[in-house]
Amino acid sequence: MISLKLIRLFILKNIRNEKFLTVLSIVGVALGIGLFIGVKVASDRALASFESDIRGLSQNTDYEVLDISGIDFNEHIYRDILDIEGNSYPILRVNGYLSAIQESISINGIDTVKAARLVQPAGRKAYDIEDFYKNLSSILITKGLSDKYSIKKGDIIECLVYDKKYSLKIAGILDSKTLPADAVIMDIGNFQEYFNRTGYLSRIDLTADEKTSREIRRILPPNLSIERKEELLKNRESVVTSFRYNLQFISLIAILVGIFLLYNTVFISVVKRRTEIGVLRGLGAGQKTVVTLFLVQGLIVGFVGSMLGIAVGQIAAYFSVLAVERTISTMYSTISISEYLITKGDALSALALGLLVSLIASAIPSYEASKIRPNESLKEGTFESKYKSCRKPFVFAGLSLILSGVVVSCLDYRYAPFDFPFLAYMGILFIILGFTLISPFYLSVILRIARKPAGRIFKATGRITFGDMKGNIYRFSVALMSVAISSALIIALLTLIFSFRHSLASWINRNIAADVYIKPASCTSNFCFYPLSDEVISLVKSFPEVAGVDKFRTLHLELFGRKVVAGFGDIAVQREFTRAGRNGERNRGLEYGKQVSISNYLSTKYGLKKGDVIALQTPEGKEKFTINDTFSSYSTTSGFIYMDRKWLREYWGLDDATQLAVYLKEGVDTGRFIQGLKQALSGKYALEIMNNNNLRKKVITIFNKTFSITYAIELISILVSLIGVLNTLLALVIERKREISIIRYLGGSWDQIKQMLVLSAGIVGIAGIVLGTVMGFLISVIFIQVINKISFGWEIHFKIPFLYLSIVVLVLFLTTLSAGLLPAKVARKIDPMRFISFE
Amino acid sequence: MIKLIDVHKYYGDTHVLKGINLDVEKGDFISITGSSGSGKSTLLNLIGGMDRPDRGSILVAGEDISSYKDEQLTLYRRERIGFIFQFFNLLPNITVFENVQMPLLLNSLEEEDRVSEYIKRVGLAGKEASYPYQLSGGEQQRVAVARALIHDPEIILADEPIGSLDSRTGIIIMDLIKQLAEETHKAVILVTHEHYLSNYAKREIKIKDGVLLQ
Repeated sequence: MISLKLIRLFILKNIRNEKFLTVLSIVGVALGIGLFIGVKVASDRALASFESDIRGLSQNTDYEVLDISGIDFNEHIYRDILDIEGNSYPILRVNGYLSAIQESISINGIDTVKAARLVQPAGRKAYDIEDFYKNLSSILITKGLSDKYSIKKGDIIECLVYDKKYSLKIAGILDSKTLPADAVIMDIGNFQEYFNRTGYLSRIDLTADEKTSREIRRILPPNLSIERKEELLKNRESVVTSFRYNLQFISLIAILVGIFLLYNTVFISVVKRRTEIGVLRGLGAGQKTVVTLFLVQGLIVGFVGSMLGIAVGQIAAYFSVLAVERTISTMYSTISISEYLITKGDALSALALGLLVSLIASAIPSYEASKIRPNESLKEGTFESKYKSCRKPFVFAGLSLILSGVVVSCLDYRYAPFDFPFLAYMGILFIILGFTLISPFYLSVILRIARKPAGRIFKATGRITFGDMKGNIYRFSVALMSVAISSALIIALLTLIFSFRHSLASWINRNIAADVYIKPASCTSNFCFYPLSDEVISLVKSFPEVAGVDKFRTLHLELFGRKVVAGFGDIAVQREFTRAGRNGERNRGLEYGKQVSISNYLSTKYGLKKGDVIALQTPEGKEKFTINDTFSSYSTTSGFIYMDRKWLREYWGLDDATQLAVYLKEGVDTGRFIQGLKQALSGKYALEIMNNNNLRKKVITIFNKTFSITYAIELISILVSLIGVLNTLLALVIERKREISIIRYLGGSWDQIKQMLVLSAGIVGIAGIVLGTVMGFLISVIFIQVINKISFGWEIHFKIPFLYLSIVVLVLFLTTLSAGLLPAKVARKIDPMRFISFE
Repeated sequence: MIKLIDVHKYYGDTHVLKGINLDVEKGDFISITGSSGSGKSTLLNLIGGMDRPDRGSILVAGEDISSYKDEQLTLYRRERIGFIFQFFNLLPNITVFENVQMPLLLNSLEEEDRVSEYIKRVGLAGKEASYPYQLSGGEQQRVAVARALIHDPEIILADEPIGSLDSRTGIIIMDLIKQLAEETHKAVILVTHEHYLSNYAKREIKIKDGVLLQ
């Protein structure tokens, strides 16, 4: 066991001496860990929000009776269920949208008498029970909600519910830790009457055993099912799995760059202190002691970096929560995540990860340190020359890894053996590792090619720079890989985003063909599940300007045990009224026979193709449909089935619509039509009415917001790569104080020394960006063709954003170039006489 | 050519050089001997333009370099000074050829033939592509000598040039310095604590506690 005194003398003193270098490594680790933990917190909170939503208000119930299509059902069944199981709780729920603060809330109508324990007031005067029951619009809100939006008892809030605007009066504040944070409670009777849902329930929560659940299952009509809450939760979790893994994976790459930084710092300590280590060994220190000392150095940096990372993670968590909330709400269904604080568990995970990362990063340099012999001299390039003999095996191993990465990604593309693109992620890691191993060889080739021309152009500084780089090829390879990984990440993400945007634009052209789109204003997702009032549909149809109305209805259906979105449209109307010049040529032939189109996601996930037959559970029993076509859907990440609405009438007994696509007669002024429609509806309905152009713009805006988190990741990547180059050059300055002093003695100016460092940064920058570009394109192909396909099934046509990439690459290059300036400042502080006369 | 007038230098409270007066002519070979800490290296650094005196003047070809700005001192070293150090101080990551060529390159000159010629003159022909770590101590000091002379400086400043060499190699190196300096009419200021090296010098100056004892 080494003494604390030795650690203090040998390690802490060194950390103090190399403050700036240590700080850079700490920041690098902190950024990686922070990003990772921020994304993790956001995904965890999204899952917690799902769980809270499914668990509902009665947290101890373990079964749920619900409609197989996700719609409200007739409440008669409740009495029959109650006869079998007394512990059953009827619930009618809907999402409300507070447009003033742009937040969604979940309004729950419950049997407050039966669930009295749920409605405990927060304080004696927090609750006006009489008002709550007598006033139809009375609601109870949680203390969390009250605090969050500064709403108090007696306040009246305006809320969009279904397709209307309602006033809700706060009758009391509830003090419950088990209730979901965004929960609002109404008496179920008041709910039914106030929102015109008399006779309906959304679900029935039950506390039952297996036998009772079987008994209940027997009495349920075909449109209802009884499910275990755990199963529902699992199903819902799968929706965010892909999203979560993708973000988590990208943040993992940021950690990888952090590892490079820390590796570099510990390695520099070892190289710089070779003589001291030799003396220490001479005094009797064993190899284990030396290894432990440098591991401790790594762990100290890792510990401080992780602690700072937790703080960074808190900020990242806040923004990630917003991004995740927005994406899930748009793609799946509205969720509200109010909790974004890092818990003790998260902090411990961050710390554990940080320490693990620092152990990995410091392992190799610590091992190198232990190999230093007691009589080690100050001979330059000891480690570098040792690695030189490894260059060929490294190149071979690197190429093998890159090839393996490509092969496993192809395997994932072909067979997708897991629910998420695990093999493709592995493939990308293999590729990064492979490029890392070949980077010293690559850099040596670049130096060999550029040495002469650079010598001619930059004279002395060129010769010294190239000599230094050649003599420290492994060190510079680490900096090069920091830049390469960051550029690769940026290039891959930009290519993905650009390709996606391009594909989305052509999808919009194909699919957004009607003149006006209408949906309830309370619906903030791509798909709405609450129907529009019949009066709205009749009113729209009654306008003389209207040529046709495509009534669109969405339901949740089960396919192979997983919930997917089913859309029912009026194919005949689409066919008849899609105007020339607008490409509405989809769903060809869907109106004939029992046919459906399925999204590419389902096709990939279940290996379904045109001509296959799928069975869908309907209230009339299982019905078989033939797959007519597969299509790309950017609207949901959980799979989408599209069919003609005649099947909605026939098998689901529904003829309502959740969204309307309105086709206007030739020559009608869309703006004036919308104005007229709004006037006719005003005061009675709260609808979102958009013309074709606005909807297209909105789709693009949603897309941009969804990808906002990736822009943040790109920014962090640039920052980390800057730190990587800075770290290496600074280390070089610290290690090369003697050489810099010699140059000064020979008459080299500070400007020439600055030129040397900026030139080093420039070479690292260019070489890193070139390698990163190759790696980035390879990764972008895997992102688009494998990860996207398995995760979301989106059809993305590969498109390279040359202009954007040129700009970003230029910024990255200038950034790395600027990384040479700070070390130049540090170099200027060197007193040449100290390092020359010292001897 | 070089004239030091009442030069004083302090490092903190320590008075390192106490009123140094010295004249060095073209072609002079002066040895400055003294014990460790006597101020030899400080004196060399002042003449070499690495440092400025706190008091007094250093005139080189009539110009007072003690009033030079940093850029002017850099240029002065680059063009007029050749340094030879005890531990050679070669740049480790460039070849022998490039090390010798360095002062020329810093002066924006290439003159590869001249570099080859000097390498040959110091007896290292064939070692041009070698790196410093591939050479013996004596060979490294030969490179340092060639580097000190390649750009045709007026003054050679040698700080314990054979301090890390065995006596036989030391003699060879000293012979080489003397021969090349004479051939090229350079002023050489040699700092050493080895009194026998004074035999190479035309003048021997002793320094003790920052005072010259001529």
